[in-house]
Formats: sequence, C-alpha cells, structure tokens
Amino acid sequence: MEKRPDMIRRHSAGAIFMHWFNAGCWIALLATGLGLIDNPELQPLGMWWVRTLHALGLDGVLLLQVHATLGLVWASVYAVFSLVRLKSETWPFLREVGTFSPQSDLTWVLRKTLTLTVGEERLRAKGLATELPAQGFYNAGQKLFAVPAVLGSAGLVATGLIALFSRAWPGGADVVQWALAIHFLCAALVAVGLVVHVYMATIAPGEGPAFRSMFTGFVPEDFARHHNPLWHERVAAGRDETLAKRDKRSI
Amino acid sequence: MPRYVMVIDSSRCINCKTCVAACQQENRVPYGYARNWIKVGAGATSPGLHFQPGNCMHCDEPICVSACPTGATFKDPADGVVKVNTALCIGCGSCIATCPYGARFRNPELGVADKCDYCPRLRALGREPACVAVCPTRARRFGDLDDPASGLRALIDKGPVVRLTAPATDTKPAIFYLGRTSPTDWPKDVTPPLPIGLWGAIMAPLTRVVGGAVLLGVAGVALRQLVAGRGEGQREGHGKAS
Repeated sequence: MEKRPDMIRRHSAGAIFMHWFNAGCWIALLATGLGLIDNPELQPLGMWWVRTLHALGLDGVLLLQVHATLGLVWASVYAVFSLVRLKSETWPFLREVGTFSPQSDLTWVLRKTLTLTVGEERLRAKGLATELPAQGFYNAGQKLFAVPAVLGSAGLVATGLIALFSRAWPGGADVVQWALAIHFLCAALVAVGLVVHVYMATIAPGEGPAFRSMFTGFVPEDFARHHNPLWHERVAAGRDETLAKRDKRSI
Repeated sequence: MPRYVMVIDSSRCINCKTCVAACQQENRVPYGYARNWIKVGAGATSPGLHFQPGNCMHCDEPICVSACPTGATFKDPADGVVKVNTALCIGCGSCIATCPYGARFRNPELGVADKCDYCPRLRALGREPACVAVCPTRARRFGDLDDPASGLRALIDKGPVVRLTAPATDTKPAIFYLGRTSPTDWPKDVTPPLPIGLWGAIMAPLTRVVGGAVLLGVAGVALRQLVAGRGEGQREGHGKAS
C-alpha cells in the first residue's frame, strides 16, 4: 500500500472560517459597493454594472442598506475574532506578514513572476536562476498582498464608519467626502490584489496543497518543506509560533 | 413627458416673501432654512431696488448631479425636475458645494441634501407649487414648457429672457427671467470638492488602467500555463532553509 504523506496543521479552524467569511463578505461588499457608485465619472467598472444590479431588483437604496449592514457585520466579526485570538492568531499573523527580508523577498517575487510569465524552461535556457529563496509561513507574494489587504481593510472600516454615520457626522462635509474617496481607493487597492491572490491560490501551478489547506487546515509535510522551509524548520523543531503547537497527523 | 420650468417676471416681485414662507410650510423646511429666496438688486421697481425671486434652477446640465457619488441627486427624465432621493443620499455634501446658485443646504434634521423639488405633493393633486400658488403679484409662473396650454413657451418667445449663469459655467438653468432682472452676478463658478474631483480625474481612471492591466496579465499567465502545460511550473526549485 502506498504510504500516505504526513500532514502538518497550517491553519486553525477559526482561521479557515475567517478566511472564507472574509472572502464571501469581500466579494459581496465589492459587488454592492461598485453598484452604489451611480455616477459615470466615478464608476471604474462602467455603468453596466449599476444597471445590471438595478435590473436584478437591487436598486440604490437596497444596495446601500445591504452594503452598510454587511460592512458592519464583517468589521464586527473581524474585530471580535482579532481581539479574542490576539495572541494565538492576530499578532503572529501581523508579525509574519510584516517581516520582510528585502533581498530574499524581492528575489522571490522577481523569479516567481518571471517563472509564471516567461516559463521555467526558457529561463534555464538563458542561464537565469529559477530557484526561489527559502520562505517562511507566508511567501513574499502572500506578504505583498497581505500588507495592503490589512492596511486597506483598516482604511475601509475607518472610512466606512464615517460614511455610515455621515448623516449625523458632526464634522465638516469635507471629512465625509475624503472618507468616501479613501474608501474607494482602499477598495480598489485590495480588489486589484485580490485578483492576483485568487489566481495564485487557485490556478497557479503547484499551489494545490496550499489551496486545499484552506479547507482542511493541513498541508503535506513535504509540501511545507519545499514551499515554506523556514516555517517547516520551526515546526520540526517544535518552535512554531503561528500555531500554538505542532499538530501532525497521517491521513 | 412634461418638462417643468419656472418663468419669473422679477419686475412684479414686491419682496413680500410669501413664497418663502409658503415653501417652508409646505415642505416642513427646518427653522432658519429656506428652499427659495428673494435677492435684492438694483432697479427701478422700488426706489433704487429690484427684487428677484429664485430657487433651484433645475438645470438641464446640473453639476450637482455630476458631483453626487451615489446617484441620490438626479434629474428626473419624467418631468425634468432635479430631485434628491433622501433614502440614498449619504449626506456627503458634494452637491451642495457644487451648485453655482447655492440652492442646496444640508437638512439639519435629516442630515441629507435639501432643495426645491417643485412641491410633488401639490403637483400630484393637480395644483401649482406653493411658492407659485401664493404669489400675490403672479411674479412666479410654473408649468410644462412643452404644453401650449401653460402659456410659458409664448411668454419666453415674446422675450427678452434672461437665464442666470455663472461666468464660466452654463448649467442650462430651467428658470427663465422675463425682461431685465437684477442682480445677475451672483451665480458662482464652482468645481467639485477636491476628494470627489480627484476620484473622478485620477482614482477611477487609474483603477480602470491598473485593474485592467492586472486582469489581462493574470489571464495571459493563466493562458500561458494552459498552453505550456501544468507540469512546468510545478517543478519550481526552492532554496534550503539556512
């Protein structure tokens, strides 16, 4: 019988739930938010999107209600999760994605981009290195998406709250106008990153185990050794700081 | 479809402000605010004075509509009236800042933009807007420009007619002043508030370009992956942990 690979826990059940909760809310908030921009000069996607939603019975008022309610639920659940799991999830995550090794990370991003666009065979034929620098729990690309995603989300919540209470906003109208513009900018920033993230996580070659781990919580040890060797070293040495303890199993 | 306009003979106005009070009552305008006005200019009606009634001009090319992010402010194609959907208005005040006529204000009770809407309740009853109905000198006339029975087209054609515009901003106002009117220099050239201006001039176009480029790039890479075969990318090398 073929030996089944050892599996290492990569994500907690809470983190998996928050990831998919985040994904669902994000897509819905992006869809409704874009639908709320009923102005051809400000609408980046084109007025067809607004007309489509209106044709589906989602008029501006309903979109505003759904967007505001969902945004509030999303931000509240995230705030509670982040606080409750501050030591075990939030802080390790922020420390991990906020720790950059400029030379190594830049090399990873450049070589990965060239590998995906030019192709590994051609790069080798031209004598260019294709070996990727050793990565930790997150690779440089994931960190590059995570930082604007975190900052953008914080910006979205802050400006979203101002917009939510704009009718009762005691400050000047200019604060609300800036909040709306920054809200748009944050959403655009994260949305563009999201496109790359979705491709890298679901379609890009070799990422299958990482994608499946967003459902099961586990990755094959061999995968971790090759894709995230710095993290795997910590896990092997029992010094995994991302998850409280090593959770290894055979399936 | 009716095309409602107002024709004002300001030489008839006696500055009684009945129109202002009637509008406040009909539309429950908060104390201290008004949806219409009477401006005082130079003229010969009273000794050295000329009174000029006004309200939202219900422009054919309204800048306030262009400045509204959500479409809460719109020119209703059904009757030509510029309206505010208060349920959709988020109170950002962009429309207020961009009206050359200062015809809008932030309703302190509702927190949304407020302005003249030609009294829809009264119109639904087949009556004229409050300001028109109560004017003792009939300085204000209201009706469908395309309806010969309203007589407004004939009044305008008889001329001369003044449409008040800012020096460099012609929003095609739908209020017509008969004869000479005064003052005429009060509409101001306006630009959208800086955040909304930046959004329209830079942020939205940049998002289109960057978003489009990223989508195309990702699609190209995915296509290349499909053509080259999935195997190649999976043989990626990785450095050893140090």
